[in-house]
Amino acid sequence: MSKYIFRRALGLIPTMFIIVTICFFFIRLAPGGPFSSEKKISPQIMKNIEAKYHLDEPLVIQYVRYLGDVIRGDLGPSYKYKDYDVNFYISRSLPKSILLGSLALFFAVIMGMGAGMLSSLRQNTWIDYMSMSVAVVGISVPLFVIGPVLMYIFAMQLNLLPVSGWISERGYSALILPVFSLSLPYFATIARLSRASFLEALRSDYVRTAKAKGLKTSVIMFKHVLKGASLPVVSYLGPAFSGIITGSIVIEQIFRIPGLGRHFVQSAFNRDYTMIMGTVIVYSLFLVIMNFVVDVLYGYLDPRISYK
Amino acid sequence: MNNDVILKVDGLKTYFNTDDGIVKAVDGVSFELKKGETLGLVGESGSGKSVSNLSIMKLIPSPPGKIMAGTAIIDGKEDIFTMTEAQIRELRGNRIAMIFQDPMTSLNPFLRISTQMIETLVLHQNMSKKEALVKSIDMLELVGIPHPDKRVHDYPHQFSGGMRQRVMIAMALSCDPEILIADEPTSALDVTIQAQILELIQSLSKRLGTAVIMITHDLDVVAGMCDTVIVMYAGRIVEKGTNDEIFDDPKHPYTRGLIKSVPRLDRPAAGRLFSIEGQPPNVIDLPACCPFHPRCGEVMAKCKNITPGVTKLENGREVRCFLYEGDK
Repeated sequence: MSKYIFRRALGLIPTMFIIVTICFFFIRLAPGGPFSSEKKISPQIMKNIEAKYHLDEPLVIQYVRYLGDVIRGDLGPSYKYKDYDVNFYISRSLPKSILLGSLALFFAVIMGMGAGMLSSLRQNTWIDYMSMSVAVVGISVPLFVIGPVLMYIFAMQLNLLPVSGWISERGYSALILPVFSLSLPYFATIARLSRASFLEALRSDYVRTAKAKGLKTSVIMFKHVLKGASLPVVSYLGPAFSGIITGSIVIEQIFRIPGLGRHFVQSAFNRDYTMIMGTVIVYSLFLVIMNFVVDVLYGYLDPRISYK
Repeated sequence: MNNDVILKVDGLKTYFNTDDGIVKAVDGVSFELKKGETLGLVGESGSGKSVSNLSIMKLIPSPPGKIMAGTAIIDGKEDIFTMTEAQIRELRGNRIAMIFQDPMTSLNPFLRISTQMIETLVLHQNMSKKEALVKSIDMLELVGIPHPDKRVHDYPHQFSGGMRQRVMIAMALSCDPEILIADEPTSALDVTIQAQILELIQSLSKRLGTAVIMITHDLDVVAGMCDTVIVMYAGRIVEKGTNDEIFDDPKHPYTRGLIKSVPRLDRPAAGRLFSIEGQPPNVIDLPACCPFHPRCGEVMAKCKNITPGVTKLENGREVRCFLYEGDK
């Protein structure tokens, strides 16, 4: 098992290398460049700027130079924001997105698994219909509707919570609305996933055996059913976690949160090559690591899976 | 009431509410199980044999299933059907234990054998986990699992089908139940393993004094190990008698057909094997008639519009057929 984990961890390196390579060349296919959009610049100045950022060199040389920087942990200067480099912007915004995303996902898992469990135990009763209706709302209503509606009710009408802002300016209560809004679609997916897998497990022969042994429903649910039924949720959580902690542009815009999501979208519009690369590297690094964690977790949850 | 009777089921009716109508899966089943006796319950698929026994354990999925009528008196005292959920739980696994058809899926694949065995003992026998583990290892040894002290910590997928069924038997018998319900325990196993498992159930039940209800569609199983035999058809008992009576002198045409359709190795082959023509009836909205009449070779006019009652014969033998109404 530990041998497998080691080999799998080693395998992350070539994966990241391929992602960086493909991404680097794909970005250059897009028309325009970081300095081409604004007012007319004289060709000589343009040349000087490009020379400063080594953009005049052949693409392969640029690629090798960039790869060398990345390996040393330097994501390069931002072409758009000249004051600081990409590392600074990411290290400043990523923790906020991680905090927001982790809280939202934690909330979504607890509530989603709970709703799924209750729904499966009380299948086709009002509890089931109610939680699944909330789940459908969570999946179908977009965040840019949920966010402002919650903001209107709880911040503007009831005056209970701050409208927007981050902890530094409004205190911890500023987290409640964005965390709740962000968790809703994840809650919905997890609730539906876990309801289906709980139902499947409840109909299984081994649960019938457990009942025939005289066990209580609560023991059956938490000891016999939960482990197997959480497998689909766990495999969903890997990509979901990497997605949610790299920020949500919608939630960050609505609630004025200086997170990573903004850089993700803005850098693409700006053709800010290094910033795009930086956000993509962060996102894919989380994705491959989370998928690796999920694989290892699977082995612990399901004893039938053995890695060699 | 007879003190020897451990379980007395009377007038059990279990119906299922489906979109097509009410399925009368069990429609008025009565029988007695004596202490230490092995009772065989025979019938084809859908005859209600499994549902009868799941009803006794109150394990019918509800909805759609519902126990409509009947009593199940255990040990001459309480009626299982009027017990509270907590009382039923006290009964399950402790006084009445069950073995199921498919050992490959009946054990929880995510938990160690030790976890699954210990939890029953801790729950019903007030044992500590340590005592329960010792008892589990003893039980595994009893059912013939090699190296039980090591194997007890394995997961179900590390056992073969026959071994898993042995584990199920060890688990079921660990609390020393008065009744063991075995629901087709050998149907999913190889023939060679079948015989071993049946022998194991038989010898252990004799040794521990457990009464066994053996549900099967395999007449050989019944002939080999049961004291009393009940034949079910379309949710009702059509014939009841001792093993010898049923096999030497079957009364009901359905029982006769069943026995005739078993291939005999001790007689020269005489052409095609006998089979009962037709299909069992749909038990939704069954009109008043003998449910077996379309397939019966001795059908009479009244079989088609009157439901035959139970005819009691000598030695407590019962048959549900008009052929014997005059013999009373």
